[in-house]
Amino acid sequence: MGEEQILEKLKEAIISFDEKLAEMTARDAVEGNIDPLKAVEDGLVKGLTVIGEKYENDEIFLPELMMAANTFQKAMFVLEPKIAEMGKERSKKGVIVIGTVKGDIHKIGKDIVILLMKTAGYEVHDLGEDVDLFTFIDTAKKVEADAIGLSALLTSTLSGQKDVIDALTQQGIREKYVVIIGGGATTPEWAETIGADLYAENAQVAVRKLTEMLEKRK
Amino acid sequence: MLSFFEVIDRTVTGPLMSDQDFYLKLYVPELNKVIQKYKIKYNPDTPLPTDDALADVIFEAAVEFFSRVGAYCPDTSRVVQFSREEILQAVSKAPSMSTFGEGPDRKVMRSRKPDEHSEPWYHCGGGIYTTSEAIFMAIVEGLANIRKANSLSIPSSIRIKGKDARVRSPQEVLAAIKTVRMAREACRRAGRPGLPILNGISTATGPISMFAASHPNFGLRSSDGYLVDSLAEMVIDFEALDKVAFYTSIGANIGSTSTPLFGGYNGGAEGNVIATVVYNLLGILVFRGTYHYNAPLHTKLRVSSTRPLLWIIALANQALHRNAPYPTVNLPYLGGGAGTDCYYYEMAAYHTCVVTSGGNMLSGHPSIAVEPDSLVPLDHVLNIEVAEAASKLTRREANPIILKCLEKYEKLLKDPPKGFKYQDCYDVENGTITNSEYAKNADRIRKEFKELGLPIEKSA
Repeated sequence: MGEEQILEKLKEAIISFDEKLAEMTARDAVEGNIDPLKAVEDGLVKGLTVIGEKYENDEIFLPELMMAANTFQKAMFVLEPKIAEMGKERSKKGVIVIGTVKGDIHKIGKDIVILLMKTAGYEVHDLGEDVDLFTFIDTAKKVEADAIGLSALLTSTLSGQKDVIDALTQQGIREKYVVIIGGGATTPEWAETIGADLYAENAQVAVRKLTEMLEKRK
Repeated sequence: MLSFFEVIDRTVTGPLMSDQDFYLKLYVPELNKVIQKYKIKYNPDTPLPTDDALADVIFEAAVEFFSRVGAYCPDTSRVVQFSREEILQAVSKAPSMSTFGEGPDRKVMRSRKPDEHSEPWYHCGGGIYTTSEAIFMAIVEGLANIRKANSLSIPSSIRIKGKDARVRSPQEVLAAIKTVRMAREACRRAGRPGLPILNGISTATGPISMFAASHPNFGLRSSDGYLVDSLAEMVIDFEALDKVAFYTSIGANIGSTSTPLFGGYNGGAEGNVIATVVYNLLGILVFRGTYHYNAPLHTKLRVSSTRPLLWIIALANQALHRNAPYPTVNLPYLGGGAGTDCYYYEMAAYHTCVVTSGGNMLSGHPSIAVEPDSLVPLDHVLNIEVAEAASKLTRREANPIILKCLEKYEKLLKDPPKGFKYQDCYDVENGTITNSEYAKNADRIRKEFKELGLPIEKSA
């Protein structure tokens, strides 16, 4: 099988959520001496791009996003050791620490953002729900994050987003991180009021806006 | 029916499972299985289906899915399971009517049948927050003054003495109490002290504030309604069960509440119609509800008025009311802001689907911008007029009307127009309409609805 065919099969494996095909074709890529980074970017990621478009158009939903992410991971188990062996690293779009703020236990919206971030090439640290404000900050420091994502569904938990920004400011590290907020209770006006860098009305917008801002900051 | 004590015992004795496994290994695969087994297929051409056989199949699929999956208790990481027999027994014991309110405003909410021409229950208002006590009082009094309104859902007031009332804080307890007292006072000012409040404690996020505000000294009664909601999807946590334990102990009306998410673990229309029905079964069996709040929602657009969501709410109501006599009210989250044509056409499509399918109405919440003070009473009059008009139609007569409404707003949902706030339209001091353009616009919309085939009559 030629390089073009292998790349196409990797893409196809993601689109059809075929974990076995993804793993097998990744092995073919390694055995065929195809640059593993090329296999990722020109095969798997192209499949993920199609998945993202289908999600955007309501053709697929959260379960399919999860299946695509799992399929991607299966192939990566094969390709990652090869990438490391070559002394290379898959370029990351960025590192984000994300969670639902203190007092709020809603998770699905945040989980969708996480999946789209991961499939877009972000290293994502999911802190879960009802997260203490210093957990956001301490984790962001520890993993050298580029961004902090704060989700809030309830109006009465919005202040949890402000608290994180205030604490970052108090510690003199506000400018170090892009702070992006979202969730049912948030608005662009609220983002402006508390001094968040970005407001995202949904998961796709979150990925797009964060990517644009991180590109600009480079 | 299985006792509540047996239900809560299962939260500590059911099989242990992580939430990820619950969704990925149980919930999603089993949902896909029943969708395929029962050949459930969304049809965008008929947002208001008229196929009774399909409605019955949806109900059967929901019972099967619920008996295979159960619900998830995150406090104990256990799956709470019920047999098919236990579910069907609960259905057979479900309340078909619930009594709310006191004095002349004491009324009975019933489970209706699809194509039934009885008037639905008119539930007005919403939990949208308000910025000041004066506006809160004016809005609630304005809603209570709507004579056809059978019950109210009151706004939340998340500030007290000019400060934020944070979740689970003592300020929240005080704000919840204040809200309840003011709501009852506003009803009294409207001459309707017995008007039932079905969501009186919208300011409370947890059981502590809710129980505090339920104390009879503050004006709520067991003949009001108390919402207990499950988190998406099929999560029953201890906070919800605490509320059930308390409100069943005082003999109060419990409104089981659910927000199945379109685009979440339920996937698209097919999965969500099943989930919507299942939540009602859960509401009867676990939350011991006397009525149910349905609120399926689009995860990306945050509205209930998309074409597939209309199909979901219509069909779920038909499935339920043909097979389980459990009164439902149905909550439309709408993209357009208050007083916009987008809002009006969305609510008309939604209520027409619901009312002809056997459901009761809850007036529309402008939801995308989450603007404060955006409950504008005249909009809620129009909501009632539309629901009343819809009760005169059959599903078959209504479907073309819904398609015409969709033409008006479907393309706007990605970037819907912002609307008015209460104070843009009303005098806060005396509650009269000051914005004549707004009032004229309502008359124009009535005329347009009539032209579409909705037999709408202006309220007295």
